[in-house]
Amino acid sequence: MSSSKSNKIVKLESSDNKTFEVEEAVAVQSETLKNMVDDGCANDTIPLPNVNGKILEMVLGWCKKHVDETVTGDELNKYEADFLDLDQADLYGLLMAANFLNVKGLLDRVLQRVADMIKGKKPEEIRRIFNIKNDFTPEEEEEIRLENAWAFD
Amino acid sequence: MDSLPDALVQHILSHINNAKDVAVCNCVSKRWKDSLPYIRSLYFARNSFDNLFGQQNPDNLVWKMISSIVRLEELVVYCPFSGVGLASWLSLVGPSLRHLELRMDNLVENQICNEGPSKLDCISVAKNLESLKLWGVLMTHSPKWDVFQNLWNLEIVGARLDDPALSAALRGCPNLTNLLLLGCEGVRLVSIELPHLQQCKLDFYGLGNCQLSITSPKIEFLEVQGCSWIRVHEANCLKNLSIANNAGKVYRVDFGKLEALEFLSIRGVQWCWDAVSNMLKWASEVKHLYMKVEFTGDSEALQPFPEIDLVEFFNSHPKLQKFDIHGAMFAALCQKNSLKHVDSGFVIPSLEELVITVRSPLNAEQKMSTLESLLKYGKNLKSMVIKILQMKSNHSSADDFFDEICRFRYMNRKIVRIE
Repeated sequence: MSSSKSNKIVKLESSDNKTFEVEEAVAVQSETLKNMVDDGCANDTIPLPNVNGKILEMVLGWCKKHVDETVTGDELNKYEADFLDLDQADLYGLLMAANFLNVKGLLDRVLQRVADMIKGKKPEEIRRIFNIKNDFTPEEEEEIRLENAWAFD
Repeated sequence: MDSLPDALVQHILSHINNAKDVAVCNCVSKRWKDSLPYIRSLYFARNSFDNLFGQQNPDNLVWKMISSIVRLEELVVYCPFSGVGLASWLSLVGPSLRHLELRMDNLVENQICNEGPSKLDCISVAKNLESLKLWGVLMTHSPKWDVFQNLWNLEIVGARLDDPALSAALRGCPNLTNLLLLGCEGVRLVSIELPHLQQCKLDFYGLGNCQLSITSPKIEFLEVQGCSWIRVHEANCLKNLSIANNAGKVYRVDFGKLEALEFLSIRGVQWCWDAVSNMLKWASEVKHLYMKVEFTGDSEALQPFPEIDLVEFFNSHPKLQKFDIHGAMFAALCQKNSLKHVDSGFVIPSLEELVITVRSPLNAEQKMSTLESLLKYGKNLKSMVIKILQMKSNHSSADDFFDEICRFRYMNRKIVRIE
């Protein structure tokens, strides 16, 4: 007994109680949701307590765009580039959601985007941009800077 | 960023591969420093160690960084290094490496430095390599390689080789599917017997007189520059073939029927006529043909092509969709008079795109007649581009010919274009 994938709907609820209904074909872009569907656990609304409505909407938008056959390669590239033009909070939210929901293409893109923001910068800049606490003691910091001095112009 | 779980931080940092960035990230925080050992790939740019001072040694700095990584799979080094350094790095990560790319820089040295291990020999330690790319290699002694069982891709760019050394190297990679030898000089007789080879690109510098023999029944893509005699036994899978020789003459080609061939490009200053006609005969199924052979002639003297019957040519290449006619071909197509006695059923069925270089105004009437026939019988022709920039214009009839071509273009604006 096989289900006709084109008609089935999957219901999702975000952490802030927003519900979303998407076609199964869209939902299964997420490996996590695909496993649930395959195991027959996707008949009721699936709660996603660690993804908020705003982020979930973004992720589902991405998934929808990637099953749409009318979208050309160029359009998809532009969409992906514009998609990641986000502030940091949203970027991390997206990263965590893409990781949890295991949407591979999206996860890779976000990881790459964050990595690109790190490249070519100095440690102080990186700490400032990403709000990272410097947890080295002054002695430790001096030692590590000396070891890696060759990388600083 | 601090609120992300460790796994995600490691995942982000695994996309940082430039050694300079890795060194900087080491200094950001303890958590970042502890996450960096999980990267899989490391790249040292050419200028990585331009700012060294004191007794810092590039080989050691590379070693230090590599030693902090749990499992390195890909190493790319463009900065200068020594054989001793390379041996030390590979003793650390040799077995886990899947991809290795090195700028060897040996071409500047006129003799092999006898101190320390040979860089080429060291590579043998990376016995699980899947892909190896070497830039600037001096391989005039056979490398002492065991067999790289997993190596499917070998690329050597800019090399001075000799025949036995190249043979020895290829014997060490019996499972290659991709082989690239670009800008290689010093070889004369090359014999490739790789049973799994699918893609092969060869570019030999020198006098253009190399002899090449390939026994690789699965070969699909072959590009060769600089050979005068090419033999490929069993080319049943060959889809894409390019043969060019800028420096020398192509004397002989041995391919047999090329049943799967879709694209053929033949280029060079001079090809023996048998070589040209055999290539055209074997490539009967071809969809895209690119010809830029300037002259033929079995002796030193450069000759134009003999006449080629247009009807016969297109009948024997019925699948031809795209045809680039440069060099001596266009002039040869014109001269037969069979166009006057053409069988009324004649048609050029598949041809859609034509690019023609017209080089001289000689035999202008015949040439115009050919252009008109191509248009008339090419029922599916969508575009004809006529290139005239290289036309010899010191002949007095050049202007008239140019006028004729312009008129032809005007009458067939939808299809014909002049460049």
